[in-house]
Amino acid sequence: MISAIKEIKTRYLILIILGVWAVLAIIFKGVATLELATYQNTFVTQTANDAAASIRGNRTQSAAFIYFFNPIRGFISGFVELIRMLIAIPAPNSIIPVLGWLGVIGVVTFFVFLTSNFRTTILAVSLLFGCGLLGMWTDSMDTIAMTLAAVILSLSIGIPLGIWAGLSDRVLKVLTPFLDLAQILPTLVYLAPLALFFLIGTASATIATMVYSIPLSIRITSHAIRSLNNSPIEASISMGATGKQTLTKVQLPMGKQMIVLGINQTVMAALSFVVIAALIGSPGLGGPIINALTIRNVGDGFVAGLAVVFIAIMLDRSTSAAAKTKQTFVPPSKKEIQQRRMSLAGMGIFAIVCIWLSRNVLWAAIWPKQLDVSEIVASNTNTVTDWTTDNLRFITVSFKDFISNYVLNSIQALLAGSPWFITITMIALIAYLLGGRKVALLAIGLMLLIVACGLWYETMVTLTQTLVATMLTMILGVILGVWIGRSQKAYKILRPFLDAGQTLPAFVYLVPILGLFGPSRFTAIVTGIVYSIPVVVKIVGEGIKGVSTTMIEAATAAGSNAWQLITKVQLPAAKRSLLLATNQGLIFVLAVVVIGGFVGSGGLGYLVIVGGSKPELQGKGLVAGFSILLLGVMIDRIAHASARKYGN
Amino acid sequence: MNSHNSSSAISVRNLWKVFGDNPEKIVNSSDADLSRSELREKTGNTAAVKNVSFDVAPGEVFVVMGLSGSGKSTLVRCLTRLIEPTAGSVLFNGEDVLKADPARLRELRRTAFSMVFQHFGLLPHRKVIDNIAYSLEINGVKKIERHKRAQEVIELVGLQGYSEAYPEQLSGGMQQRVGLARALAVDPQVMFLDEPFSALDPLIRRDMQTEVIRLHKEVGKTMIFITHDLSEAMKLGDRIAIMRDGAVVQMGTAEDLIGKPADTYVADFMRDISKSHVLTLRYLARPARPGEATDGPELDSSTIIRDASQVISQQMKPVRVSENGKAIGIVSSEDILKLISGDAN
Repeated sequence: MISAIKEIKTRYLILIILGVWAVLAIIFKGVATLELATYQNTFVTQTANDAAASIRGNRTQSAAFIYFFNPIRGFISGFVELIRMLIAIPAPNSIIPVLGWLGVIGVVTFFVFLTSNFRTTILAVSLLFGCGLLGMWTDSMDTIAMTLAAVILSLSIGIPLGIWAGLSDRVLKVLTPFLDLAQILPTLVYLAPLALFFLIGTASATIATMVYSIPLSIRITSHAIRSLNNSPIEASISMGATGKQTLTKVQLPMGKQMIVLGINQTVMAALSFVVIAALIGSPGLGGPIINALTIRNVGDGFVAGLAVVFIAIMLDRSTSAAAKTKQTFVPPSKKEIQQRRMSLAGMGIFAIVCIWLSRNVLWAAIWPKQLDVSEIVASNTNTVTDWTTDNLRFITVSFKDFISNYVLNSIQALLAGSPWFITITMIALIAYLLGGRKVALLAIGLMLLIVACGLWYETMVTLTQTLVATMLTMILGVILGVWIGRSQKAYKILRPFLDAGQTLPAFVYLVPILGLFGPSRFTAIVTGIVYSIPVVVKIVGEGIKGVSTTMIEAATAAGSNAWQLITKVQLPAAKRSLLLATNQGLIFVLAVVVIGGFVGSGGLGYLVIVGGSKPELQGKGLVAGFSILLLGVMIDRIAHASARKYGN
Repeated sequence: MNSHNSSSAISVRNLWKVFGDNPEKIVNSSDADLSRSELREKTGNTAAVKNVSFDVAPGEVFVVMGLSGSGKSTLVRCLTRLIEPTAGSVLFNGEDVLKADPARLRELRRTAFSMVFQHFGLLPHRKVIDNIAYSLEINGVKKIERHKRAQEVIELVGLQGYSEAYPEQLSGGMQQRVGLARALAVDPQVMFLDEPFSALDPLIRRDMQTEVIRLHKEVGKTMIFITHDLSEAMKLGDRIAIMRDGAVVQMGTAEDLIGKPADTYVADFMRDISKSHVLTLRYLARPARPGEATDGPELDSSTIIRDASQVISQQMKPVRVSENGKAIGIVSSEDILKLISGDAN
């Protein structure tokens, strides 16, 4: 009861703060906003620039490079090249890879069948064939090879560490801050620093991908070990098993299924990152997408994006089928095993024939030109895009303008348009009301650090977009989440979209969104919404579903209608889920809003991207990345603290 | 109770388990007498086992009974150090288990002790026979040999025909038979059974209790049996220890507990028990009053009252109760009626 009163009081206090802030923002409009032109440097960005230049100059001399960075780069790029030679780039003394396209299809057929079933195999092969039809065979193979290389390296680190963290509380405690940080770190942030140390190229791209996917695999593996039914483990210990015996004979066999699920997640994370890592020299489908975004050719971008979608579905289906095949611990009967062996042998022979053909016959080695429909797809997409932009202009533009003029501009006027010290004070006050004294002090510290970095204005622009996108995400997400939480049918309808949104790299849907809304802040916001809505909907949906049936029955028996049930019972009871969803939504949105720098959203993302292409602004790009990190930590901590305070 | 009894299979002295920081500070302190919530409030600790001592004779079935949260499951885990006790000693054949190094502890667990769990703890990915052979496997016994031994215990517990099945294909009762077989496979000297039948249906539970009695007669293992079910305790236990809030409130035979409950807590417990189903004639035997006939038929003192009631109620005279051939008193049909009507209240 007391906390409820406190909550209402907090709500009014925040409104009062916003009111005061608005008045101050009008009075001091444009004063002390610390706005900086793109080409201008501050002391910190200049220092970063000099540091970057000196790192670039020392690559051949400094011991750190000769004995640490360069060998790692050599090893990883060597490994990556090896895998690429299998399917993507010419093998030594050859003009084609080890496997021509038909050979790849044969091998994929065999392996997907090995890990799943016939239907999934057909799906996977058709999707792969689709990549060829889109004229993207080689780029697709490069993307797959890069993903594969990164996944192998990630798992070889992530699974052992995950097992260790699963067994030892101390190890988990040491790793947790890194895992948390990796989760809130927007992808764009660590591309530039990695490129600085490992050069632009496959090594940097692979390492960046690993940074992104290893935490995921550690998390899931350790969870797989920790979530096991304890009584077989206790029984094993009670019988005098050593730790190693219990691990290999009990824990790993029992946790296998979830560890495989972790592999699926790692693969999907790696794929989505490999596409973005084109920014630092990852070969494959990311390149054509970036080009298309830069010259705003929606058609070309769409073709490459579609190929990414195909690969994503193929990898997801074939690896998740592997995780799902074993619902039970009882193995199949002898007869089933026999049948299975026969069909595997058949697939094996098919694969060998395909491989042989692909190494000896030209049409099976190099994707035939006749089977390339990319131009038709691209031009049709452009026609459709032009038609929609022309004819839906009324809707899209007016919606965009409404949000931009009324919502974005007014919030930006508060955050970025008023003097920096006023903004800091107001944010700190709100942080205090939401999360308490400690988090308010932390927020002040982080914001002062951002001011010191010199990119205050840009940070506030990014914060504005993040907040607006999160607000829209939450409105939409709660509506959809309540829907799927209340209806199994709705869940079935929405699930494929949610899954797709969660597995697709954000780059991919940036293309059609750009087509609809043109280059603007709004495009970045919509992309952020598309990226974050699946997770928000899922969390809210689960929260609503988790509300106890008794409570709902009691409310229904008391004569509540559906609206009363939702607003007075289900949403309040699912408050924790709502808070968690907001937290996740904020972090997801931030990660993607900065990518909007590509399509004219400005802010820190733009500086990161410009920094990547202009050496004289490299330092500024690095500092912008750091500011994104500071902003992310601040948002995350405030959200966390308020969830703790109001979650019960 | 400070010196160990050397003829015991297991001899526990002053055993403590305190959870939380600085647990050893609570041991033997006045804080240990606080209630659970008071202690947590004051020091943040939980005393799950408080100064417990008992002896279990070779071949005895010793039952520890208590409600959930009384510390009985923690106690049994402390005996084999699945949970590390805070203080005290546990002597097994004169050796302090708590002082054993990891290798010796593993050896004891592999050869001398075995345990049966409430939730069975079977390995879902292994067939019944490989579940039973697991303890032999980790001990390095060859496959043929361990399967041979597993087959023997499969027959002992009545699992014939199930050796190739997987746990999830079996009913709860059958799964616990696998658990029993697994515990018997190493031919242990002491078996620890932690609420083995609590997860089973009442009918199956009764079958399994009978099964344990049969197995105990056949293999004669020392057993320490944990339960929250008083009738199960009465049925199986040679002696029963009643635990409350981590401490043993009373220890003794079923008759001791019913006849002379140590406090109202134990008495409350005993109220729901049908005394005539548990107690023997020894409990009712009394000297003859003047004028009472002393030439009635003779019955042994170990006869359960319920079983004797038929005979006695048909007699005009009180029956004589004898123990080891010596008369210890008489029991009249009125005595029995009084007891049974007491049950009904």
